[in-house]
Amino acid sequence: MGTTASQLSKESLSEYQELTFLTKQEILLAHKRFTELLEKHEKDQIDARVPMGKIITLPELKSNPFKERICRVFSTSEQKDGSLTFEDFLDLLSAFSDSATLEIKSHYAFRIFDFDDDGTLDCADLEKLVNCLTGETNDAKLSSTEMKQLISNILEESDIDKDGTVNLSEFQHVISRSPDFVSSFKIVL
Amino acid sequence: ALSTRDRIKAIRDLPMTKQTLELWQGAMKSIGGKFGTSVLTYFVFLKWLLMFNIFSFLVNFGFVTIPLLVYNVTFRGLEILTGVGYFNYTVMYYGSYSNETLVDYNMQLAYFFTIAVYMVLCGISLIYSMSVNFKNNYVLADSASNSAWQLLCTWDFSVTNEKAVKQRRNNLCVQLKESLSETAQQERLTVSEKLKHYGIHFGCWLLSTSLAFGCAVFVIIHYLYLFYVLLQATKIADGSLLEEAKTLLVPFVVSLINLVIPLFYSLFNKFEHYSTHRKQIYALLIRNVFLKMSILSVLCHYWMDKVPAKDPCWESTVGQSLYRLVLFDFLFLMLGSFFGEFLSNVIGTKLIPRMGVPEFDVARNVLELIYSQTLAWYEPYEQYIQHFTSSSSVSVSLTHNCQPPRRSGRAAQMQTIFIFLLFFPFFVGALSIVAYTAWSLTPSEGCGPFRGLNNSFSAVDVWIDDLKNVTGSQWVVEIYNNVILSEIFYFLITLIILVIIYILWQVTNGRKELIRRLRQQIVNVSLF
Repeated sequence: MGTTASQLSKESLSEYQELTFLTKQEILLAHKRFTELLEKHEKDQIDARVPMGKIITLPELKSNPFKERICRVFSTSEQKDGSLTFEDFLDLLSAFSDSATLEIKSHYAFRIFDFDDDGTLDCADLEKLVNCLTGETNDAKLSSTEMKQLISNILEESDIDKDGTVNLSEFQHVISRSPDFVSSFKIVL
Repeated sequence: ALSTRDRIKAIRDLPMTKQTLELWQGAMKSIGGKFGTSVLTYFVFLKWLLMFNIFSFLVNFGFVTIPLLVYNVTFRGLEILTGVGYFNYTVMYYGSYSNETLVDYNMQLAYFFTIAVYMVLCGISLIYSMSVNFKNNYVLADSASNSAWQLLCTWDFSVTNEKAVKQRRNNLCVQLKESLSETAQQERLTVSEKLKHYGIHFGCWLLSTSLAFGCAVFVIIHYLYLFYVLLQATKIADGSLLEEAKTLLVPFVVSLINLVIPLFYSLFNKFEHYSTHRKQIYALLIRNVFLKMSILSVLCHYWMDKVPAKDPCWESTVGQSLYRLVLFDFLFLMLGSFFGEFLSNVIGTKLIPRMGVPEFDVARNVLELIYSQTLAWYEPYEQYIQHFTSSSSVSVSLTHNCQPPRRSGRAAQMQTIFIFLLFFPFFVGALSIVAYTAWSLTPSEGCGPFRGLNNSFSAVDVWIDDLKNVTGSQWVVEIYNNVILSEIFYFLITLIILVIIYILWQVTNGRKELIRRLRQQIVNVSLF
């Protein structure tokens, strides 16, 4: 039994290593942290889902302003409630890892910023993005005229085909010109 | 194919292997979590330098130190500070290296070629990282540094501390408001205000340059005082503690200058007004670099010119002076980070709460690092322990005493600037000093691996002469005489490199034009 278990484990581990950008140690650490979030009776279940409320208690995500968006983007549940299985969790960590490519990161960043999930970033999405990042107190918020000015600046800069929204390729084009993106789009356990 | 259940079960049953951590991974994660990636660049740079130095240590140790023997001499406590006495005979100074040929291993050649190869490798790796960084962070990057989109997209996901996140959001709001109002404000600056700004800039630059010159002159005066008045008035007796302690005066003064004057420069920031935070950092960096370079050049000039004329074993004397300088630099750095920042923290929180906790000044700390690296290139042995301990002390003081910088810098571009600074002027300066020592200075009669020769480079000459008698290696002699020694060879190589650079430059211009045309095409296509 011992040798079969280790043979199985080597296969699955290397399979996960092939499918994601994570190293063996990172996958094992992810598994450990994920099982800590499960209930006792769920620990033996296959495909156990951890609800969003528990995922966002992780210290790495707790203070992140995008924590709910991240859970929703990586969740594969049919109810779209943001719950994650272990493989969703690995997907999340893989996209945010050091070795993920710029294309993967910009793809997921686009989906995270797309608050209404319609495939483009329009004015409403951009407004929600700015509010998410600038804080909730009154003096840390932008006034509505400032917001309008900011959004029109953004669209002028990145909307190449001038249709009033930023689609994925325009977003990726802007990202490719910013060398800090890859090092800031990172979450490490 | 395994079912998911089997896979998860199998992983669960695996014993949890101990994580083989990348060096300092835990510490870097917590620093990045609280302070963000721009401060992390300092530590990334430090780690890079450390790897670099470990490599050089291995090279030096393997080829030069191991073949030597260590002599047994009495040892006194003050020597840790002054480096005389016992250290004279250890392998730390090449003054004590023997010039004999041990078994078939020619010490002179070994030392010469080790240093040459090490310098060349340093140069190549620096040029390589500089060019890669430059390409990624300047050429391919967006030119608008204050662009709102850039600020929004580069939100730092690795910051995990609650307070830090809140602070970042506030800072981002302020920066966004600033970038919105900046365009409006620039038209509103009247001519008299602009003149006032330029006047203040000019005044501050003049003051800082004159301060740097003043310090250099001060150091010169000190040296002259020390060597002409003190040491000639009383004969140097071997074993007099007071005489040795007097030699500590110059390194103490130099390190004090390096500590105090940059604080003055930071004060200028209160008066000057720069349009972006980055320009402020660069101005500060340039002033500090200028100060350090002027002091270093004064010291080097003194060592290269004055010392060989007087001293029978000048290699060891110069080595000792360097050792003292390095040690004092290290001590002041430790004291500065522990007490300076600790005191500012105490004053900021308890006594004058208005002042606030000190910010972590990335630029100043990086410059310290580059400066100590430069000293290492003069004398390769003393840096390794110093790096490790100074990095841990800086990170400890950082986490306890400092708060994150108020304005987020452009981390990647700052990294490029740091590497560029490391290379030019510091590396080039060190390289030229080493080359000057090897080519022009006569080694002393009494010590060193090159004693008895006209200059260090003659060791190679002697070796080539010996090779003429060995059959089968005529080709080495031919190459040496016709290639290394002839000037035409270097002229041709330079010419070829210049032509290649010109061709590549034209290719780049062509590509820029192509990009512009493609963009226009996108706009045209989408309008249909």
